[in-house]
Amino acid sequence: MIDIKNVTKKFGKLRAVDSVSLAAGEGEALALLGTNGAGKSTLIKCILGLLDFAGEITINRISVKADPRAAKSLIGYLPQEPVFYDMRASDIMRFFGRIRRAGPDECAAALEKAGLTEHSHKYASELSGGMRQRLSFAVALLSSPKFLILDEPTSNLDAGGRAEFLCRIKEYKEAGNTVIFSSHRLDEVDYLADRAVVMRNGSIVFDGEPGNLGRASGLGTRIVLRIAREDVSRAEEALARAGIIAHSRNGGGLVVEAPVGDAVRPIIELTARDIPVLGFTVEGPTMESILEGAGESILEGAGRDGS
Amino acid sequence: MEARNVLMLAGKEAMESVKNRWFVLYTVSFSALAVLILSIAPEKGAISGGAGYGRTAASLVNLVLLFVPLISLITGAAGIAGERENGTLQYLLSHPVTKAEVFAGKFIGIFIPICLSISLGFGLAGVGVALRGGSGDGAGFLLTALFSALLAASLLSVGLLVSVYSRKAARATGIAVFLWLLFIILGDLGIMGTAAAMELGIRQVFVLALLNPAEVFKIASVLVLSPRYEILGPVGVYAVRTFGREGIVLLLISIMALWTLAPFALALASFSKFRREES
Repeated sequence: MIDIKNVTKKFGKLRAVDSVSLAAGEGEALALLGTNGAGKSTLIKCILGLLDFAGEITINRISVKADPRAAKSLIGYLPQEPVFYDMRASDIMRFFGRIRRAGPDECAAALEKAGLTEHSHKYASELSGGMRQRLSFAVALLSSPKFLILDEPTSNLDAGGRAEFLCRIKEYKEAGNTVIFSSHRLDEVDYLADRAVVMRNGSIVFDGEPGNLGRASGLGTRIVLRIAREDVSRAEEALARAGIIAHSRNGGGLVVEAPVGDAVRPIIELTARDIPVLGFTVEGPTMESILEGAGESILEGAGRDGS
Repeated sequence: MEARNVLMLAGKEAMESVKNRWFVLYTVSFSALAVLILSIAPEKGAISGGAGYGRTAASLVNLVLLFVPLISLITGAAGIAGERENGTLQYLLSHPVTKAEVFAGKFIGIFIPICLSISLGFGLAGVGVALRGGSGDGAGFLLTALFSALLAASLLSVGLLVSVYSRKAARATGIAVFLWLLFIILGDLGIMGTAAAMELGIRQVFVLALLNPAEVFKIASVLVLSPRYEILGPVGVYAVRTFGREGIVLLLISIMALWTLAPFALALASFSKFRREES
């Protein structure tokens, strides 16, 4: 278990992390969310012992401050932009393998699993961004750490690489290991995370299930209804009478804030009044809208349990 | 601190040093000039009775003073700051190694290749002297090579101290070059100027000379290579008469060791204490 108790990290007068308490249990995937400067990366660096901090962080009851070597030996870390010494990929694996007490066979197997065996002779600077990410992931998994910490791990990957990468992280998590990752993508959070923690100005403003994130932010699902131009004003009135907020879009459609737990009610209301719905699309809230947009005040009011 | 980790990190550092083109250029230049010095020295008996080890070592002292401090200061200064700047330091420290291990590994990993360069230069010159039927003070020759290594260690420590306090490698390198100018080019002039301006006595001038590791190296080398310590001037005469010939050499070795240990300890303590720079 990673246990973070009342951690504060100050840079001068700025509280980059402000009295954060958090725990990630066995087999749990926790997403750290927030805008740039929210404190996610600083918190990750505190967990890794790269920064001094006030408070306490323990990894399986080993204090990061008191015994950083033992604590770090339990963690695999994947930085946002992997930077390596200018060595061949195979030498990088061997070098970090020796640090992490992983034998040559394990290093070779990890390189093969990352799909880099045929590139093992290449220098790090000759590898593409995606390959470097895979190499970094292979290094992070050396000696089978119980905890994986990923700082925006897919930011440099293309769509195919991202899907494959997320799949591997999910496999790792489903083997009973703990994952803490920061991300800017809601789809990654939905796919991977059991819990989402939103940080703002160094503090936690939401801690709950990813599914509750949109609701807590006040940004529910929106439905865009395609309606004949001549029916738009009638439909708008009908929905207003049913207590559903709707706005016309380009004269040929309506954007409806879907009622929580009853998303299809706008369609039922219109059909009941003989207003034909020609089609519809569903738009969920984006990460940007949750973190930066209208949901800000609601998010802050939502408290720690996301309710 | 685990010796295993220190040695592993030192090995990585040594490999990087050997691959560094500046380091290769330095080694080739130092060795080539050492051989050149030997080749232009007069044959045995031509002028003053022999191109022996002592005479060759005395010629190499000036070469050492030019090259060894420069490479030691610059590689030391770039050591931590360069890795901090490009992010490899943070990545390395996210693994189960301590800062003390990283620092010690870096020192050893840079120091050993510099020692190999010095050995190559002195070795080629020594072989050359032997092939020419050289004679003279072989022990003084070896001691001068040893003092060169001590000079490298002391200025490498100073370079690493600069590196710990520098955020940018370019800035650290700039400071290292300035220190090299201060120690090597301005050292003598500074001592002479200060002595004249402040009307210092011999004792004070001697103490002033001890503040510069390059001066300490020079005095120690001259004392082991030449029987005539008077060539060091009044300060040399004062030092030998006060401490004795062996005593002053031991004192100078101790001072070079102190010049190594004090900056090393300070740099290590600072590196371990300040965590903000790894952010």
